[in-house]
Amino acid sequence: MRKIFITMALLAFGLVFAGQAPAHTPMCDCFDNGDDTVTCEGGFSDGSSAAGVVMHVMDSSGKALLQGKMNQDSEFTFEKPDGPYKVKFDAGEGHKIEINGEDIVE
Amino acid sequence: MQTPKTKMTLNEMKPKDRCRVRKITARGPLGQRLMDMGFFPDVEIYVVRNAPLVDPVELRLGEYHVSVRHDEAGFVEVERE
Amino acid sequence: MTPMSRIQAALAGQPNSGKSTVFNMLTGARQYVANYPGVTVEKKSGFFSCDTSRVKLIDLPGTYSLTSYSLEERVARDFLLHERPKVVVNVVDASNLKRNLYLTFQLLEMEIPVVLCLNMMDVAERRGLSIDAPKLAERLKAWVVPAVAKRNKGKDELRDAVVSASQAGGTFKPFNMDYGPLEPFLSEIEEKLSQKPGLAYPARWLAVKLMEDDHEARKLIQKDVPNPGELLDLAVQKRKKFTAEHHEVPERHTAYTRHLTACRIHEACVKAEKKSLSTLSDKIDRVACHRYLGPLILIGVIYALYELSIVQGYNLTNYTWPLLAGLRNLAAGLLPDPGFTHDPLIRSLILWFTDSVNALLNYIPIFFILFSLIAVLEDSGYMPRMAFLLDRVFRRFGLHGQSTLPLILGGVYVGGCAIPGVMACKAIPDERARLATILIVPLMNCLAKVPLYILLVSIYFPEHKGLAMFFMATVTLFMALPVAKLLTLTVLKKKESAPFILEMPPYHFPTVQAVLRRAVERVWLFLKKIVTIVAAVAIVIFVLLQFPGLSQERKAHYEALADKAKSEFHGKIQGNPYAEHVQGRNLMALILFQEKYKQERRGVKDKEKARAIDARFQEKNPAFFSIIKPKKDKDAKKVNKAFKKVVKARKKIRREIQGEKINASFLGSLGAALEPVTKWAGFNWRVNVALLSAFAAKESTVATLGTLYQQEESGSGETLESRMKEQETGFTALNALTLMLFMALYPPCIATTIMVKLQSGEIKWMLFSMVYPMVLGITFSSLVFTGGRALGLTGLQAMLAFYGLCVAATVGLALYNPRRKFSYNHAFSKKEENL
Repeated sequence: MRKIFITMALLAFGLVFAGQAPAHTPMCDCFDNGDDTVTCEGGFSDGSSAAGVVMHVMDSSGKALLQGKMNQDSEFTFEKPDGPYKVKFDAGEGHKIEINGEDIVE
Repeated sequence: MQTPKTKMTLNEMKPKDRCRVRKITARGPLGQRLMDMGFFPDVEIYVVRNAPLVDPVELRLGEYHVSVRHDEAGFVEVERE
Repeated sequence: MTPMSRIQAALAGQPNSGKSTVFNMLTGARQYVANYPGVTVEKKSGFFSCDTSRVKLIDLPGTYSLTSYSLEERVARDFLLHERPKVVVNVVDASNLKRNLYLTFQLLEMEIPVVLCLNMMDVAERRGLSIDAPKLAERLKAWVVPAVAKRNKGKDELRDAVVSASQAGGTFKPFNMDYGPLEPFLSEIEEKLSQKPGLAYPARWLAVKLMEDDHEARKLIQKDVPNPGELLDLAVQKRKKFTAEHHEVPERHTAYTRHLTACRIHEACVKAEKKSLSTLSDKIDRVACHRYLGPLILIGVIYALYELSIVQGYNLTNYTWPLLAGLRNLAAGLLPDPGFTHDPLIRSLILWFTDSVNALLNYIPIFFILFSLIAVLEDSGYMPRMAFLLDRVFRRFGLHGQSTLPLILGGVYVGGCAIPGVMACKAIPDERARLATILIVPLMNCLAKVPLYILLVSIYFPEHKGLAMFFMATVTLFMALPVAKLLTLTVLKKKESAPFILEMPPYHFPTVQAVLRRAVERVWLFLKKIVTIVAAVAIVIFVLLQFPGLSQERKAHYEALADKAKSEFHGKIQGNPYAEHVQGRNLMALILFQEKYKQERRGVKDKEKARAIDARFQEKNPAFFSIIKPKKDKDAKKVNKAFKKVVKARKKIRREIQGEKINASFLGSLGAALEPVTKWAGFNWRVNVALLSAFAAKESTVATLGTLYQQEESGSGETLESRMKEQETGFTALNALTLMLFMALYPPCIATTIMVKLQSGEIKWMLFSMVYPMVLGITFSSLVFTGGRALGLTGLQAMLAFYGLCVAATVGLALYNPRRKFSYNHAFSKKEENL
């Protein structure tokens, strides 16, 4: 009986963590193109491309302004918003990078 | 009724029992290892606890603790104290 | 000037006596690690100077005794016999003197001057024990130095004692144990020995060992003594006689005598001032080994280990990866420039090499944290408690309680790494269980397998993500355990199995210094032994992926595409004032210019810095700079737009080339060639290639797949998930399942394979560890795929069915016990049965 209890506890514990598997280190860099657009380049430490990764542009309060995906070159270009903004590279749990618009210098 | 002097072995002891070693019946590597760890005639053993799954069993000999599997403990003849 | 005398000294002691701490205290940072020749036992040496003497201290393996029953004991004893150090420093747990003296006597019998280091005096004091050191020294005829190595107390005294002891020379009178009724027998043998001149070993020691029927001693006689038969027969005779007369074999008698002598000396030299109260360790154990709390705490510890090292370690890599990437960029800058469609071979090679090494180096933060935590676990004394809690379960599968940590490290849930897992197998005393553990650790869920699982699960099991991940995470355990059992019953049957008897030392608070030192040592080992070989293999894989390469025809095709893109570009900017700056070779120059600029600007947040970089580039080539940053310049903007297009075209061409190159390479051909076999498992040639490249490092699987599944012409960038889904129309959830299964069982990456060789000491096990998972993987994958197809099961159903089978196998094998009591085979030795 005790054995069953222990096994169940272990399995239940397992279910909780089902989603949380870290894999490869994500990378994302953004550049101000000087013509009111910003281009972000993404990738992963193991060489996989970031094509298709969802990109969010939000204002400082977190409200969504734009959304898009990295293209086949792992790039995402968008119009620079007026005012402060944040860019988020969202490749799933544990693979998110947030960049402050302030830090994207012209 | 007088309890007959039957041969008791260490694996028959329960937690919190105290006993004294009478003889090591194991030979070869197991016997050697038991002796290396201090199991000798006249040594006092205190049974601390069993593992959650019963095996192995934790024992105290003097100042130190040793855990042993039950079937290995079967080779240590003891006398209850 | 007195010349520097060189002294060789050995450090011996029972486990948990604080020997390592004493070693570190004496030698400081001047130590290095090697292996004893021919075995996997670590040999640590260090140096220290005292007066005019330079002492080389060899740390012998910790042993409870010096019989020939275990590898560590044999190694320690061999060293003492053959290297004949001038001094032996015997580290002893002062609060456990009686049991420790058992080893001391055996050391004394080797007739080398002994310095007894009474370590952990603070613990003894706390327990109310007071030890009369001088009396002890007198009784043992040895130097006795009290110490608290953890606090560096006793260092100088110990060093002095070592030097004094080494100078004892002629005046040294060895300790003599009185074996009572055995003595006359010993004298007879000693006499016979004295007739043999030039014997390199202490006669009395040999006599004792011969009476004990020690196998190694017999071997020594056979090798070194002329006409050994006579002597050996005499010994056998004497043994029989003694046993008959005293109803006990000599080795039992000698052990008992040592025990009694230890008791007597203990009585004379140690005073217990108060009755032993329940110690702090006892109190902790009441919780740690508690029926219900114990396992819960264990889970908590495992969780903490996982969370801190893997999850937090990964967060750390977010900071270290840019550093590694920086190195790569540095290399890229130094190499010959890339071309429009092709790069110079040397460039491709070096960059590939750097990328492969970087991928491994990226693990270092994780490993550092992991190794530190393991060192904490080891030093604190919790490991034996883990073994205590789980031994019953593991034993059923031929494993050992101490297999716990290696399996956890290998990834008992998700995201472990087989390298530290196999490394941790060092601690398992039972050879059979150790090998079994080493062989199954790579089956666990290593970090690198995870990206593939996630990829496949999100495409093919989108509604059951959690369940599928849980399946993957746990099924490996249910496969590893039965495999371990089977290995133990077949391949490993002949290996020695050892008794479990495990000491549970008091808990210790680990010192930061010791923990960090151990972590650094292990990270260094990883770098030295593993990264080197993986780097070499990376080059091999590079060659296999590059050659034979594209045919002339295809090359021409891509050149044509490139020319088309270039002429389109030039066409667009005809008449533009900037056009003259980007003719011919200058176009490529502009491309490189832009890449360098982006690299420098990467991650720069400071406005001042950014402006400085801009100024520099503007100065270097104002025309180029205007093109890449046109701002308000209309002409420049036009060129910029066309330029972006040509850059995009270039990237696309290069991507396509890359993909085709793989097809046309050796690896690609190999993948295609394997298809007839792997199709039973549902793998096509692309998957094969990805799996083959994964041999270098599993991480490459996803990246390689990424290259193999090209982007389509239309549409925005699709993730690998969607591309795979679209392009592999025949692929179903069942295929995905079998692929994941194969990945789970896949042979270990090179790095792990090397570790297996290091830990097992034999190439045959290394090869076995590569081959058997492959066989298992293909078999299971094929069974699941073909079987699932035949029965018309969906991926999900096949998953559940397979899971059920594995669990059943695990439970079934757990109950199967061909030899009712394992221990019988080592409770009796064959010769005893005949006596």
